[in-house]
Amino acid sequence: MLLIDLMPVTSIDTPAVQAPLVSMTGISKSFPGVQALDNVDLTLYGGEVHALAGENGSGKSTLAKILYGFYQPDRGEISLAGERVALQSPRRAIELGIAAISQELTLGPTLSVAENVLMGRLPRRGGLVDWPKARRVAAEALDQLGVHVDPNERVGALSIELQQEVEVARAVSAQSRVLVLDEATSSLSETATLRLLEKVEQLRRQGVAVLLISHRMRELYSSAQKATILRDGRLIGETPLPQTEERELVRMMVGRPIEDLYSKRTLGFGDVVLAVSGLSTHDGMVRDVTFEVRAGEIVGVAGLVGCGKTELGLALAGATAHTGDVHVRGRPVKTSSPRGALRAGIGYVPEDRKRSALFIPRSVRQNLSFAWLNILSRLGVINVARERRLASETASRFSVRARSLDASIAELSGGNQQKVVLGRTFALSPDVVVLGEPTRGIDVGAKSDVYRYVQDMAEQGKAIVLISSELPELLGLADQILVMHTGQISASFTAAEATEEAIAHAAMAETGAVEMSA
Amino acid sequence: MSQRGAVTSEPPQRAGAVRRAIRRASFGRYTGVAVGLVVVCVYLWLTEPAFMTWSNWENIIRGQSVVAILAIGMTVVVLTGGIDLSIASNAAASAMVLGLLVQDGWDWWSASLAAIGAGTALGLLNGVLIGFARIPFFVVTLGTLSIFQSWALLATNGETISLFSYEKFTPLEKLINGSTGPFPNLLLIVGGLYAVGIVLLRYTRFGRSVFAVGSNPEAARLSGIKVSVMLVSVYALCGLTAGLGSVALTGRLTAAGPNIDPNLMLTVVAAVLIGGTAFTGGDGSLVGTIVGVLFLGVIQNGLSLSGVSTFWQGTVSGTILIAAVGIGVIRDYGWRIRLRERRAP
Repeated sequence: MLLIDLMPVTSIDTPAVQAPLVSMTGISKSFPGVQALDNVDLTLYGGEVHALAGENGSGKSTLAKILYGFYQPDRGEISLAGERVALQSPRRAIELGIAAISQELTLGPTLSVAENVLMGRLPRRGGLVDWPKARRVAAEALDQLGVHVDPNERVGALSIELQQEVEVARAVSAQSRVLVLDEATSSLSETATLRLLEKVEQLRRQGVAVLLISHRMRELYSSAQKATILRDGRLIGETPLPQTEERELVRMMVGRPIEDLYSKRTLGFGDVVLAVSGLSTHDGMVRDVTFEVRAGEIVGVAGLVGCGKTELGLALAGATAHTGDVHVRGRPVKTSSPRGALRAGIGYVPEDRKRSALFIPRSVRQNLSFAWLNILSRLGVINVARERRLASETASRFSVRARSLDASIAELSGGNQQKVVLGRTFALSPDVVVLGEPTRGIDVGAKSDVYRYVQDMAEQGKAIVLISSELPELLGLADQILVMHTGQISASFTAAEATEEAIAHAAMAETGAVEMSA
Repeated sequence: MSQRGAVTSEPPQRAGAVRRAIRRASFGRYTGVAVGLVVVCVYLWLTEPAFMTWSNWENIIRGQSVVAILAIGMTVVVLTGGIDLSIASNAAASAMVLGLLVQDGWDWWSASLAAIGAGTALGLLNGVLIGFARIPFFVVTLGTLSIFQSWALLATNGETISLFSYEKFTPLEKLINGSTGPFPNLLLIVGGLYAVGIVLLRYTRFGRSVFAVGSNPEAARLSGIKVSVMLVSVYALCGLTAGLGSVALTGRLTAAGPNIDPNLMLTVVAAVLIGGTAFTGGDGSLVGTIVGVLFLGVIQNGLSLSGVSTFWQGTVSGTILIAAVGIGVIRDYGWRIRLRERRAP
């Protein structure tokens, strides 16, 4: 099985002309200050994977949430198999056979895996829960997805990735007529994504209608037969896939052509800025990692989920206990706390935006300035004028789109939130920037902005460590790519020699060879 | 919405009219309660001639002064997502320190400073257990609620210390109960403390860090804020206000008693929450807390002026608490419950 190359699935057995399974017409929905959807139509057929494409804030997630009963539309009608339905709640949607997997986890962390997979439909015998059957059914559902977890395990004790897989297992085993995948793959590993898409294809063949939302173009092209495009809450059109070219699809989404996402930098590298040697974390996730990053260089870190790349970033950020030496510009630095790492000139952009980066419900301005309290204050007193100036400079430099800087950060789209997070780190002008999945769950327009900012930082002579699960992003941006496997660097490639296949092999350590480069 | 670029403004939209109206009318989380307070005041003004008199307001202010002082520390603690259940017990224990030292012949001011120091030390103990030992705040302060109360009782074997006859205590009694011009000294003291508190929260690194820690401790830590140190200082600050409150209380009563009003802590928490500070931390203000404290005071005063049984007070203030927090929930989340939009506590 080749890990990376998701071949387009030919739709041999798509049924001939038939009645739509789901038809949403004239859907409108507004939130305070935003018209999220304006008179949008969407038609889904059984046996079809239908992609919903659009930038963040285009309303695609809102439309999906209306379909699985999470939001109620202000106007518009929804019909299921020709009958008009009211989806007052996710529960009602599930009863009608509409299951959903969303980006946010909806699991009960204190319940077992089996209870979560079978939530709301635990098998019963004589009025009591039939536990042996529940475990068996849950184990089967998980097995089908190639997930190996004990059905008795508490979900809260699992990693985020495994939790997401439990969520997937719950939705796909619900035997529903409609399946909504709302950014379901954004925090899954490549292999888990592949397994999910295989399962989706299987369900499609069984006649299920699938609505697929993903920021990864490849997934849309490999799985979907049609795409509906939204922009700023309006319907732009429906187009067949994969016949529509990616460039054309992006143009419809963004409303303007996107130039090449990755522009090549031409500058040479300077002296070594970040030198890491023998770094191991106490939790055993990173073992004896050594590498260097020069001024102006972007070093990518690739690897499967659980390979230790997340923890490597956390260790450099001083957020997880570790041993080993870290030098910045030749000087040994203490990375025993995030504060120490920041002082040493290491800036960190966390992987999990909502959990580790955003201050909800604080304002955009405070989301910036909370990270600047040291430079904004003298003798503990904040220079408010300077705070305002620096915040508005940063917001415009990183083209943050917000109602005002005093608006809550929660009102912003994911892409704009990410720009705020990047902006607050970059504004401190650290010597080293460690980026964890900087484009996770953000749209293609915001992505190209983020790439530009990262390249700008490199051109200013910063050392960049780019930790990412997106291989195209690593190949497009990084000058050197380190691949991690079971906590160690299993391979290192220069930009010229790196290919998706080579990285994938090294990530699974199929070569067995451990090469190191200086 | 089509333009890219810096900060853009967007036109107002339809739908969700009630929620929008509540949002638009409010310039802070406490606006609804402030409006309610004004309505109640106007009603009492029209129906109770004694209400809108300066001497009645002096009564309200004096009566609420201890709650107001304690509510400063409590607001800061609630902003970090915690609660200090031990605040009233701490005040009782600190008051006993003050009483015993005056009895021992200390000056009023050195005894007061010692009482404030004792309150701070007890708060620091809470803080160390919560911030460094990482024991949940609820458990720690529930424990110290009993412990501090017990220490207060042990100090005199449960006896109240009357300070009426101590000459060295008289200046404090005069300071607390006296007036400067038309203004009760307590009003000036409480006002001064709130001014300091507001500046502290708005314009200092400490205050900003309180909000950062309250809204997302993990992000605060990654932003270089020492979360454990913040928690220790926040509970110590709460202890400080308990010490200050004990001085005001002792001055008002001219006695130090170990049996403090068992409802005091709950009243303080209620005032903070009525004032719009979020139970989950990260959002709220001291201005809101002032409104909450006044609201409870005016209600209490209005009920007794109207000759309503004092047993009704609990019903009224409890209803106000639930309604005030309820309005905030509707403001933030709309009418329908959306589980996933809420943050787990």
